[in-house]
Amino acid sequence: MSALSTMARALLYLRATSLLGQLKSRLRRLRQPKYLGGAVVGVGYLYLTFGRRLLMARPAYGAGRPGGGFSPEVSALLPELAALILLVVLIVNWVTPRTASLAFSEAEIAFLFPAPVNRRMLVHYRLLSAQLGIVSSALIFTIVFGRGSGFGGNLWFHAIGWWLILATLNLHFMATSFVYSRLLNRSLTSGRRRTIAIAVAWLLVSGIIVWAWNVMQMPQRSDLAGAHEFSSYVAAQLRIAPVPWLLALPRLLVAPYFAGGGSGFVLALGPAVALLIAHYLWVLNIEVSFEEASIARAEKRGKRLRAVQKGDWRGQVAVRKPQSAPFKLPSQGRPEVAFLWKNLLSSSAIFRPKVAITTLAVLLVGSQWLNRPQLQGARVFSVAMVGIVLAYTLLLGPMMARQDLRAELSNVDLLKTYPLRGWQIVLGELLTPLSILSALIWICLIAGALLLPGGTLTWLSPVLRMVALLGLAVLAPPLVAIQLLVLNAAAVLFPAWMQTAGSRGERGFEVIGQRIIFVAGQLLITVIAAVPAVIGAALVFLVTRWLIGVAAAAVLSGLMAFAVLCVESFVSVLWLGDRFENFDLSAELRV
Amino acid sequence: MIEIQALCKAFGNFTAVRDLTFSVQPGEVLGLVGPNGAGKTTTLRTMAGIIPPTAGLVRIGTYDIAKEPVEAKRRLAFFPDEPRLFDYLTVRQHLNFVARLYGVANHEALAQPLLEELEIADQIDRLPTELSRGMKQKLAIACGLLHAPTVMIFDEPLTGLDPLGIRRMKDSILRRARAGGAVVLSSHLLHLLEEVCSHVLILKKGERIAYGTLAQVQAQFSNGDSQASLEDVFIRATGGSES
Repeated sequence: MSALSTMARALLYLRATSLLGQLKSRLRRLRQPKYLGGAVVGVGYLYLTFGRRLLMARPAYGAGRPGGGFSPEVSALLPELAALILLVVLIVNWVTPRTASLAFSEAEIAFLFPAPVNRRMLVHYRLLSAQLGIVSSALIFTIVFGRGSGFGGNLWFHAIGWWLILATLNLHFMATSFVYSRLLNRSLTSGRRRTIAIAVAWLLVSGIIVWAWNVMQMPQRSDLAGAHEFSSYVAAQLRIAPVPWLLALPRLLVAPYFAGGGSGFVLALGPAVALLIAHYLWVLNIEVSFEEASIARAEKRGKRLRAVQKGDWRGQVAVRKPQSAPFKLPSQGRPEVAFLWKNLLSSSAIFRPKVAITTLAVLLVGSQWLNRPQLQGARVFSVAMVGIVLAYTLLLGPMMARQDLRAELSNVDLLKTYPLRGWQIVLGELLTPLSILSALIWICLIAGALLLPGGTLTWLSPVLRMVALLGLAVLAPPLVAIQLLVLNAAAVLFPAWMQTAGSRGERGFEVIGQRIIFVAGQLLITVIAAVPAVIGAALVFLVTRWLIGVAAAAVLSGLMAFAVLCVESFVSVLWLGDRFENFDLSAELRV
Repeated sequence: MIEIQALCKAFGNFTAVRDLTFSVQPGEVLGLVGPNGAGKTTTLRTMAGIIPPTAGLVRIGTYDIAKEPVEAKRRLAFFPDEPRLFDYLTVRQHLNFVARLYGVANHEALAQPLLEELEIADQIDRLPTELSRGMKQKLAIACGLLHAPTVMIFDEPLTGLDPLGIRRMKDSILRRARAGGAVVLSSHLLHLLEEVCSHVLILKKGERIAYGTLAQVQAQFSNGDSQASLEDVFIRATGGSES
């Protein structure tokens, strides 16, 4: 047995055992009820979203009706458009110079690079590894674009079609990086390479624009009369030279996907497979060194994973710079404020009081400028935008602003050594996202108050408007606090889920299901928490409106709702603090 | 100063520490040794109040850490094997943050000699990401010592330090013990522990194998060899294996 085949077997063994290990680990995790529950919900969600539709779609697939639900003109155009998209992808790929690097993990580099493995074997290993992602992507695309596509054809034909496209693209991207590594002078800095790329891209885009301007025809009103007319117009443009020449190879690649019936598919398969083999031979026969760039790539990926593990969910690997303190922190005083100070330092420098004050000043001046009759449209548009930002901040903001326990899971041991009760740490950790989101909401409300047209909403008297805005300003912080508490409670109660979601790059039915449970739980608990506040406020309003008038009763009921929400938040902080004191991350992650 | 009685810690069906009893008096340095997986770190984390014990008592000073954790933690400092720091706080900001949590008045004046002793005074405005591992460890130690704890718990404190750093760390531990501090430290560097510790506790599979002064433990496992080192004692006590 040759050394080469021995290594090939070893590499196959490594890949197979890694996969098996991942599968076993995932199955072991299902022993925990919370993961099992997540898996059930995840599978159910995928079935309801894609599976049921797919199963119901079987007769349509089997029919093999070319073109599916599209008209003949559109059906004929679809492969051309797909080929055009592929061409654009390839052009973008070619105007992006890069050094040859293969996507190995740090562990793979540590074991494989010093091993007696030749370059060709490493390339094969990488190609084999990439197949896992390609095959699963092909299946997912087949399901997602399945019945709704109306392209006709068989389910398996579509899956094979997708696989051919993705596998060839993968080889093409790899070959491009190899070619660039050979062509570009190694002494060129990345900055110069970027300059060359931008220059080439600019030349290319300019050339296309000039060509299109001179050759292509702008659509006439008649071309836009209907789908048939528009399809004819697009088809005519795609027949202008040299477009058909440029689309020749991409067209071959997408042909199996759009082939429809069995014989058409078999006929289309030959050229597409030939193209794939040609790419494979191309990759194998370019002698280029990829080791150094692969190591750098693996290190960057490792850093990103570790950043996520530390709580930076975006996985930023950019080098941090020291920031000036948001405010002076004296040695004496409430310890919770220290967490606000610390976590503000972890967030962007735009989340500072002086930025908020500047924003308010800009708003004040801007609203005066917009308060002119000729700018009525811009004013209405601005109000709509403010409303969108307000709703987004109130509902999605708590999920995005993670400068709290969610970002400190890796430092829980350190936090627990501090001479503080659990509730103090929880409260302190909540203060930063709460302050940032409250400030954003208040800025939006002030902007709304300044920009809202007075004349159009006659029923909304200035007093009522003021009461409504103040009510929202008062109620928003406890509503945000409750949402933050739900999210932080999830981090403490389901830490493995939080870690799994990002740090190890794992995905699975249980993670999808847990996320669904998570979002649904957040919404449900927020609604449940709001119920006593709404009931209390309604009772106060009904009782007092006859005595003190509508506006004063609204103020009183708002205060009642605020008090109820604050009590709920405080009780939740105490409960979560108790859970935090008994929390052991290492025990949770033992499974 | 430190009193541990019948301490047990279990993770599900697995018992990491069982029925452990010992005490550390002011001025004493207890070396916690044992094979990998013996329960050393679990013991230290339980003593520091990071994880609650399954059963038993942990008393720091006069305070039961389960009932009065805040008062107990005010008196102790825990130094894990891997320095835990906030990536976005500079050295100065770390000390400012810790000073506020412990209510250390005039912390800047207190921090300066500490930073100089640990030789990181010139790194004051740097982030942890800009520091070497040894420097990070020194910063973690500076943060832990800022509030002048009387109980110090070190988990592998010498890992990552250069020879000079190890020597300084040993001197620093001994100085603090002589000043009346109670110190517990775990390490696999037995010859170094021999130089620092007054007492030794050997753990194996979560159970106490030997406990006493260095001389007592050496006598217990020396088999008549008066020259037996702590390493010899450790190997004899643990049977030379982890299991």
